[in-house]
Amino acid sequence: MKKKLTWKIWLLIILVAFSLLSIFGMPPTFLEKGVVVTSIDSDSSLFEQGLSQGSIIILVDEIPITNLEDYTKIMQEKFPSNNSQKTTIKTKDSEYVVLLKDAPQIVVEDISNSRIKLGLDLAGGARALVKAENKSLTPSEVGDLIDITRNRLNEFGLTDLKVLPVSDLSGNHFMLIEIAGATPKDLKQLVSEQGKFEAKIGNETVFVGGDKDIASVSRDAQNSRIEGCSQSQEGYFCRFSFAITLSGDAAKRHADITDKLEVNSTPEGNYLSEKLDLYLDDKLVDRLLISEGLKGRVTTQIAISGSGEGNTEEEAYENAKEEMKKLQTVLITGSLPYKLEIVKLDTISPTLGKEFINVILIAGLVAILAVLIIIFIRYRKIKASLALILTTVSEVIIILGVASLIDWNLDLPSIAGILATIGTGIDDLIVLLDESVHSITISLKQRLKRAFAIIMGAYFTSLVSLLPLLWAGAGLLKGFAITTIIGISIGVLITRPAFSDMIKRFGE
Amino acid sequence: MKVLSGFHDKHYKTLLLIPLILIVLSLAYMFVFYQNNGDFFKKDISLTGGTSITVYEKVNIEELKTTLSSQLNDLNVREIYDLRTREQKAVIIETTSDGEFAKQTLEEFLNYELKEGENSDFEFTGSALSQSFYKQLLVAILIAFFFMAIVVLILFRTVVPSMAVVISAFADILMTLVLLNMLGIKFSTAGIVALLMLIGYSVDTDILLTTRILKRTEGTLNRRILGAFKTGITMTLTSLFAFLIALFIVKSFSPVLTQIFTVLVIGLGFDLLNTWITNVSILKWYALKKK
Repeated sequence: MKKKLTWKIWLLIILVAFSLLSIFGMPPTFLEKGVVVTSIDSDSSLFEQGLSQGSIIILVDEIPITNLEDYTKIMQEKFPSNNSQKTTIKTKDSEYVVLLKDAPQIVVEDISNSRIKLGLDLAGGARALVKAENKSLTPSEVGDLIDITRNRLNEFGLTDLKVLPVSDLSGNHFMLIEIAGATPKDLKQLVSEQGKFEAKIGNETVFVGGDKDIASVSRDAQNSRIEGCSQSQEGYFCRFSFAITLSGDAAKRHADITDKLEVNSTPEGNYLSEKLDLYLDDKLVDRLLISEGLKGRVTTQIAISGSGEGNTEEEAYENAKEEMKKLQTVLITGSLPYKLEIVKLDTISPTLGKEFINVILIAGLVAILAVLIIIFIRYRKIKASLALILTTVSEVIIILGVASLIDWNLDLPSIAGILATIGTGIDDLIVLLDESVHSITISLKQRLKRAFAIIMGAYFTSLVSLLPLLWAGAGLLKGFAITTIIGISIGVLITRPAFSDMIKRFGE
Repeated sequence: MKVLSGFHDKHYKTLLLIPLILIVLSLAYMFVFYQNNGDFFKKDISLTGGTSITVYEKVNIEELKTTLSSQLNDLNVREIYDLRTREQKAVIIETTSDGEFAKQTLEEFLNYELKEGENSDFEFTGSALSQSFYKQLLVAILIAFFFMAIVVLILFRTVVPSMAVVISAFADILMTLVLLNMLGIKFSTAGIVALLMLIGYSVDTDILLTTRILKRTEGTLNRRILGAFKTGITMTLTSLFAFLIALFIVKSFSPVLTQIFTVLVIGLGFDLLNTWITNVSILKWYALKKK
């Protein structure tokens, strides 16, 4: 049996090896210990020290962390505490020492077993399909919208997200936002707000959000802070303020408008007769007194302020912080030129996603076993039957390898696509196997060649019938079409020719 | 073998009556169905638009159904349970009613608050969007069908055999839809994906059969048909069993995969009939006439 393997079989073996490498990485991810940081609060001291998303934590206070359970246990024992405690967090590359009263503001997860990225419907998260209200968008408008949205979501500290343009067969353009692990409420809020900021004196607009009027927004601790909290009749409220720099044009506009105002004398000081009103999405956020000295002066430095309320002081403080962040974001990114409408909003629980994968794996294994049994009963050839299953499994491995190489997010339609590939793949292998056992006079090689004529015919019909799905339904079923196309192409080009060579060897 | 071949030679044209009658009856059924429902099949909320709420708590679904069916339009309740313990894990409530209203109604019934991402998940699709999705997916199927027909025509370069392939794929889809309608199964986007997969499987065996009958010369015509039959039946039965097993495993766990497998199992069943009676008879007729 010491015969040389043909190049087609070698190609298959090499590709399977490469795919396994691409799926599990080197060294294999399932051997790595620790927890991976999936999100980190940009205000936290750990963030300032350089801990970032994707870092792998291996030690906390010299105690090794192998999984999420270890990490949670340590943090639960340690926090909350009355005094600030020294906490040492060691990642694969560096060490961070912080003093903390509460558990660090980071979200960690177990290191995933493979590098395959799961789509939203399997990993959990929120997805929204968005269009403009009462307006159809052109592709370039969708492009602008995506830039602003991505910017804004990043300002909010959301990084594990996808913002994509999608269009459908009727030429409608949408924006698709997918955020892993986000709550749909956040997403809805983020999208439904147009983020229109206006600063007005009387009826005249002084400046609006965006880089045309705003040169910069201070976000450092010195120039943007919560100034203090106090109790009111309804609860507590905290005031915040931060500095912004106006562009030359906006500063001049400010000077022109204030120049016309009169000065009022009050016991607290001298102020102009009108106030600077700040509006966010047409709602009044704050009214600022303008001091006498600013009258008619071209000034670029302006302080923006507002407040947050809550039932407790803590709540008010948090709300003020959030409001400040929102206002800063809008001032930086500017407003959208139109109102948005969510046409489809989905949420998927990640817990069900995990079990889901188990069920799919069980289903796949049992189905493959069933195929093995039927093929064996039909042809009574154990080697050929095993080769058939091996070929099918390597087809799946190569599809997954390609998926993780091109960062394709494996979603439910993609899994259906893999199923379709397996199905047609087995059909083709049966054609080959069957052709090889025929007792006619022409050579085995000839017979297998003829089998390929059938296989190629079937391949092209499948290929063309998948094409419309790439665009139909805003491309939400694209996953199915792409995976199937990748799968059947790998099949006819690599795995099925290799299988044919395997049968040839068995036949000799 | 000889008896069989003699029988087939004598009756293959008569056999064609079986699919013909079925197709006519199916078309009639579809016509009536369309008159009554305004569409070719019943659509679930993925195609009509609406709200789907998943609650991750134990819920008495019978009680829920009877209490809420008068308040929520087109209410549909499904259970998700653990594969091994058969313990209820979640309940999916689907309705064409507005999302906020559905949530409120459900909360009143359950007597607790539903928090997104904690004890429940929400999915909402606007009806205008779903309508356009639906139309596009139908167009996608038509285009797929058209492309498929062109490729088949290029492959065989003769009209009658190519038509036979198209007719048999069409009959597969038609009969599958009729049975799904009779069983009262609602169609989702997943079902449409499954129909596309079905076209692929149907064409696979048809191409095998047509190639063996028309492009090969060895053996008698009947022998070639029998050879193709053996191969094709193995192909279809393997797929059918694999899908049937998968269907039992994913059933009441994933509505999407359940629908895909249901459509495929039914479709492959009809494909056996349409390939090995409809297509074989047409091709035999054609091959004998050409001689």
